[in-house]
Amino acid sequence: MDFDVNYLLAQWPALFAGLLMTLRVSLLAIGFSLLIGVLGGGVRALRVPLLGPAVALYVEVIRNTPILVQLFFIFYGLPAIGLELSLFWSGVLCLSLWAGAYQVENVRGGLATVEWGMHEAAFALSLRPWHYFCLIALPIAFRTSLPAMLNTAISLLKNSSYLQAIGLAELTFVAVDRIATDFRALEMFSAICVLYLALVALLALAAGRLAAHLQRPFRP
Amino acid sequence: MNFLIENWSFVAKGLWMTVRLALVILLFTTLISALFGILATFRQRALRWAIHGYVELFRSIPLIVNVFFIFFGAPMLGLDFTPFAAVTTGLTLWGSANGIEIVRGGLESVPRHQWKSAWALGLRPWQIYLHVIVPQSLRAILPAFTGLLTMLVQATSLGALVGVGEFLKVGQIIIERATVMTGVSPAFSVYGMVLLVYFVICSALSWLSRYLERRLGRPAMRAKGV
Repeated sequence: MDFDVNYLLAQWPALFAGLLMTLRVSLLAIGFSLLIGVLGGGVRALRVPLLGPAVALYVEVIRNTPILVQLFFIFYGLPAIGLELSLFWSGVLCLSLWAGAYQVENVRGGLATVEWGMHEAAFALSLRPWHYFCLIALPIAFRTSLPAMLNTAISLLKNSSYLQAIGLAELTFVAVDRIATDFRALEMFSAICVLYLALVALLALAAGRLAAHLQRPFRP
Repeated sequence: MNFLIENWSFVAKGLWMTVRLALVILLFTTLISALFGILATFRQRALRWAIHGYVELFRSIPLIVNVFFIFFGAPMLGLDFTPFAAVTTGLTLWGSANGIEIVRGGLESVPRHQWKSAWALGLRPWQIYLHVIVPQSLRAILPAFTGLLTMLVQATSLGALVGVGEFLKVGQIIIERATVMTGVSPAFSVYGMVLLVYFVICSALSWLSRYLERRLGRPAMRAKGV
């Protein structure tokens, strides 16, 4: 079996469109999942009554069920009770909820490393609890949990390929769609493997730059 | 909800297929992980790099791409894979990449002096592995491997995409049938039930993993004087 590079070059526009869709879904979902993570992690760390256990249950449910079933539940199940979302937003919602559960744990882990002395110092400076959380605890927690957050973001990017199953035209969907007509599985799958690896590497690079930036000493 | 009860023998068949998939994959994953995890702790640099490359590759490409690659790609290389074989192969390749890391990490977590002491006592390398290193490393390996099994059970749902009649596929078929017969899609309740069943199975496994971690972690803590 020969490897046809020209075929890949001819298919590049379709692959590029898929790549853009993957990026769009993933970046939106990474943003939303971080939001869920910060809110949920804060609720967990501050032991808010009722909300804390609710967040814990959400995390357990997401972590102990397959993402594919979650996706089908959101895309096919929710419209059955009147909650209709478009293909794109179903995908974003699924990925955000999935990664959000992991980000909650990441943020909670980061918040747990913030020393209690910080809290006392903030209290002595008469900062409100809200200010303490946003200005002191969260920035410190963010630095410690950045590697874990990056891992979750990378998993999210890889899991965006599950959206192929509901028919969102992202990278994997494009590849499988082309294979169904042209039977060029080797070329297509090699190409999308390389593209996914490149996306993961880019994301890791960006997070590395951010971590280096945060490591620099503070100068007013 | 009643759809699942009415079709209980069909549902049971799907669940059994999920369990069978998970067990077959677990068996092969364990064998491959044990072998290559031990090999990865050897000194040969080329061998270690090869294993490292394999682990990184299969952990970096999306699982679904991996399974599809085998399902669609194998026939073009002249291999005739049934859907069951394709899913088993794909998930085993992915599972062993994770398993090798667990075994390697577990073996390397055993302190260096255990090696040296065993060596000083005149044990042969295989005896050191069998009697000294492996029993101690199991403490780190077993909880992590139970965690991996949770992930494997979840990943078997990918079988639905290539046509293995496992639990999720059964749910899909029930929904399709009911939609045709009654005109109303029971997707919400059926997928809800599917979620619940996976949740019960995987929560039990997660709990087992945490239990093992607590249970096996204790002696080491005592040895350190904590």
